[in-house]
Amino acid sequence: MRASALLPFALLGLAVLAGSHLASAQGTAPPPGDPKLGAALWMRDGCYECHGTVAQGSGARVGGTGPMLAPKPLPFSVVLSQLRRPINVMPPYSTAVLSDQDAANIYAYLMSIPAGKSASTIPALSGYLRK
Amino acid sequence: MTAAVANPAGGSGLIRPSTLTKIAGIEVAQAARAQAQVAAGSPDDPNYHVANPGSDFMVDCLKALGYEYVAATPGSTFRGLQESVINFPGSGGPEWLTATHEEISAAMAHGYAKASGKPMAFAVHGVVGVQHAAMGIYNAYADRVPMLLLTANYADGALRNEAAEWDHNATDMLAMLRGFVKYDEQPGSLQHFAESLARAHGLAMTPPYGPVALVLDQYLQEATISGNPAMKPFVPVSPPAADANAVADIAKMLIAAQNPVIVVDRATRTQAGVDQLVQLAEALQAPVVDRLGRMNFPTNHYLWSQLPVAWEADLILALDVGDLFDVVGDVPDITNRKTIMHIKPGTKVISIDAELNVPQANYQDKQRFYQPDYPVAGDSEATLPSLIEAVRRAMPDARRNQNADRANRFKNAFAARRAADANAAAEAWDASPISVPRMVMELWNQIKGLDWALVSQATFQSFWQQRLWDFTKHHNYLGPQGAAGIGYTGPASVGAALAHRNDGIISVSIQGDGDFMFFPGSHWSAAHHKLPLLTIIHNNRAWHEELMFLQVVADRRNRHPERAGIGTTITNPNIDYAKIASGLGVYGQGPISSPGDLGPAIARALAVVKRGEPALIDVVSQGR
Repeated sequence: MRASALLPFALLGLAVLAGSHLASAQGTAPPPGDPKLGAALWMRDGCYECHGTVAQGSGARVGGTGPMLAPKPLPFSVVLSQLRRPINVMPPYSTAVLSDQDAANIYAYLMSIPAGKSASTIPALSGYLRK
Repeated sequence: MTAAVANPAGGSGLIRPSTLTKIAGIEVAQAARAQAQVAAGSPDDPNYHVANPGSDFMVDCLKALGYEYVAATPGSTFRGLQESVINFPGSGGPEWLTATHEEISAAMAHGYAKASGKPMAFAVHGVVGVQHAAMGIYNAYADRVPMLLLTANYADGALRNEAAEWDHNATDMLAMLRGFVKYDEQPGSLQHFAESLARAHGLAMTPPYGPVALVLDQYLQEATISGNPAMKPFVPVSPPAADANAVADIAKMLIAAQNPVIVVDRATRTQAGVDQLVQLAEALQAPVVDRLGRMNFPTNHYLWSQLPVAWEADLILALDVGDLFDVVGDVPDITNRKTIMHIKPGTKVISIDAELNVPQANYQDKQRFYQPDYPVAGDSEATLPSLIEAVRRAMPDARRNQNADRANRFKNAFAARRAADANAAAEAWDASPISVPRMVMELWNQIKGLDWALVSQATFQSFWQQRLWDFTKHHNYLGPQGAAGIGYTGPASVGAALAHRNDGIISVSIQGDGDFMFFPGSHWSAAHHKLPLLTIIHNNRAWHEELMFLQVVADRRNRHPERAGIGTTITNPNIDYAKIASGLGVYGQGPISSPGDLGPAIARALAVVKRGEPALIDVVSQGR
């Protein structure tokens, strides 16, 4: 398997970034955003390409395209920081291509995504869970 | 054809090349035409029909070496060979397979070889057919897969009759392939052919395996056999293995290491190789990092992992790892392309790799160089038995007594990873477009009770298959394209399904929509030859990798990521893959967008496959 055939360019550094920003970000409320506009931007600007249409991520440890971002997204300040000055191979999204308000709309979309089914309720998956 | 090879000097027998070269060309042509008129009008002439043509001998040689199939898109330069195959007397000769493009033939041979362990022959037209087949051959070369390419020409220009026979000829026909075949030759006689074929076959099947190619002179194919050409029984080449001193050294290093890691890529070729790798890993209680160039190690074994090599590793045993540098470091796709290292300073690297016997040429498929601390030019599978024995013999009790604790640690980690994967798979379970893990698990749900083979690569499904399916047998997985050349999956899957046609193994393939559009004709070959193959089209309506790449570049340049779909998406109109399949004679279903509809669709398609025919399901799905 050739890593060069893959494209691991997404928010792989986000968890690390979150650890360093979490304390300061916890008290920061996300700016107002429109989840419907955010959903449209999510598709228009290609976020879905790496993270999936409902931000589920590819979940891969090797050769993956992007981590899960919803439900329960990381604080807005962390997401915005990763957008503007990304860690790892995710490309930067400057204000020229994505305004702060658009970022807030996308964040509102992420916040609106409900939790998926639990693996324990899916027969095809429940057998993999630890007893 | 008799006329073209008749003796222009007026003799009663067919001309020999050595005679022909002594005659002025123009005289040959005029005399040959005259002879043709005579022959065409004289059915009683003993030379009116060609008895015992040279291509019959060529087919006898192919049969003697065990070639069961010759795949081809028709081409006049090998018509003699084709006629000899299709009219082979009795049974046991190679079967002629029909392909709609020469690259399909090459990729079919690629998939067949990985599924069967044997090379397939494929014939391509002179020059233009070779050009068409080239990328498929390069994929096989980079994937270290054996195959036999047969192309043809009239070596003697004086025998070529018109424009096409000149256009489809070259002074050095296989020069265009020489950087990515192990051996090529243009035999000058049938005896030379027999010897070259035996040499080619032996080289193709000696690790590292690879494609070989022969040019069959059309005169030799079509003229009566002269002399008494013969082929001696073939004796396989014993693969290179690490010597006893190297094996002893490596065993000591593995035992002394605190955190040894085994990294595998194309480490095994057989079930015995898989079983031996398990024995080695268990003897050491060392994790196996699988780069999935082949089915190397059971994915439900607690020592299996896809994780990058841990920072704590103090010794890496790399077994036929194609890209050793990528194990220890990386050049991330960021603007400055800066090299980073994954292993800590002082970590030792042992590399056992048959590649070290092979010099590099023009193509860069050997990847970036990394200097191992202990390089061994040998085949991993051939080395494993002696290495296992050496480890068991040299391991002191104190080290062996650590194994139970090590096993418990790895078992817990493995169970946690599988649970995490299951939870991740659940996240978009009901999404539409259908999530990739949902697609993968709906398929698994229906094949897990069968003997199955995933004959496509898992790369573009984010390896969900390996993360949640139980790959336990060597035939369960074949690995990727080799050189990442797209268009491989369809025809390679057809070739693999051919290999499994009569062994009860159900071949399943998850093929990208972009890949499908390179060679939809490969599915017609599956229908034509009644090959049991279940294809799921992972229809993300894009060449998705390129879509992501283009968006990255736009973002880096600070302009219009939303335009990345131009030239990378496959929409407007959306393609109806099920309808195409139906038109090709393949049972087709879809497009399926609702996840609840997928399971029943797979059940219906699988019923068709179990009857011995191909089926295809178009699944509108997430990107990765």
